[in-house]
Amino acid sequence: MAHDEYKDLLLAQALTALDESDQQTLAEHLENCAECRSELNQWEQTASLLSLDAKPLEPSPELRGRILNSLSVSASNRASEGTNVVQLPVAKPSSSWAAWGAIAAAVMFVALAIGLAVLWQQNRATKDQLARLNEELQQTNRQLADERAVTTLLTDPNARRAALVGTSLAPAAQATLAYDRDGRAILLAKDLPPAPAGKAYQLWFIAGGTPLPGKVFRPTPQGGGTLLDQIPQNALNAIFAVTLEPESGVQKPTGEIYLKSGS
Amino acid sequence: MHPTPAQQTDADLLHAIARQDEQALAALYDRYRLILFGLAMRILSSREDAEDVLQDVLLQVWRQAAKFDETRGKPFTWLVTLTRSRAIDRLRMIGSRQRTDDAAIRETQEMTSDAALDAVNSERRAIVRRALDELPDEQRRTLTLAYFGGLTQSEIAAQLATPLGTVKTRMRTGMMKLRDLLNAKREMLD
Repeated sequence: MAHDEYKDLLLAQALTALDESDQQTLAEHLENCAECRSELNQWEQTASLLSLDAKPLEPSPELRGRILNSLSVSASNRASEGTNVVQLPVAKPSSSWAAWGAIAAAVMFVALAIGLAVLWQQNRATKDQLARLNEELQQTNRQLADERAVTTLLTDPNARRAALVGTSLAPAAQATLAYDRDGRAILLAKDLPPAPAGKAYQLWFIAGGTPLPGKVFRPTPQGGGTLLDQIPQNALNAIFAVTLEPESGVQKPTGEIYLKSGS
Repeated sequence: MHPTPAQQTDADLLHAIARQDEQALAALYDRYRLILFGLAMRILSSREDAEDVLQDVLLQVWRQAAKFDETRGKPFTWLVTLTRSRAIDRLRMIGSRQRTDDAAIRETQEMTSDAALDAVNSERRAIVRRALDELPDEQRRTLTLAYFGGLTQSEIAAQLATPLGTVKTRMRTGMMKLRDLLNAKREMLD
């Protein structure tokens, strides 16, 4: 590609609008071309001004406090003010050299104290960050395990499937419950009416006329819902139903039935 | 005597933030929250998502202020680029939402806000708005779909049912004209 042809890619890159192949071609060129890097900078300045076309909006008043509270390190400049540093008792200097020595020692002590304070703060910040990352990792692992379970169930040729149809309360709603012989189940529902505040849909396994409680879920704004659950072993041939219940779920159904499988 | 945060330049604030000065971060937030939150809202159309983005951006600034290189661009450009980039990442992650700028425009226009008067930036906004108004509709739409909709050139071509070559030409012509119009007002935008 001729040098001038890269120029056309720069302005689209400033809008991050390049398709992947163009983006890769340009990235390789930019590594070796300071002129184009500089020009890209200028295009990015122009592109950033487009942000001013967005209507300015006020975030919630709580956000400021939330951000400041989340800063893991309290300002180390407080430490650097050195207000808590203990003054060393200085012996009467016998000469000006001794006086300078005492001053130097005091300065070194202050510097050491500041250094220790900064290190302590950094250590605490690192620990906080590690704990946060660990928590994120665990959450990601849980999501991954859920997603694996969904994929396994949906692709298992031996999995059984029950169709749930909407009752008169939700005639358009429908759902499929796929489950394996161990009772691992996934419910995929669509076109459910929105759940009012404090309410959620709950899955039930009705075995021998007795409803056994499943988990609860809130539908998406589009009325969709996905739920991973475990069917009790004695309810693998049950009738499946979905009712509207308090958000925390109940042990016995109290609300209306919205979805139900055939007997 | 040190200047108050309100008197400090953006670069001064970033230097102070690099020294982990919380007040400087608070001042930077106060200075740019309306623009950055408005930008994230225009892209995401969700207050919750936009606030999460703003929080992530400020935390990134807190952690990386020391690495900010003034010779490569202005603090404002950095803040806006971080915000847009994180908002578009989130938009792509959400995926299911319709990624059209029109939808975002409609929703933000319906919202009421007491932020209409942002005296510091209202003049700069007016300049950008006027420059965009001078572009032909199809060029303006191409730029806003890319910038606020996070669409690539191919995605814009598909959405507008327009040949890719035409989209590239509109983007090039539009950006060049926009640069010329804004450069003419450079001293008021800096």
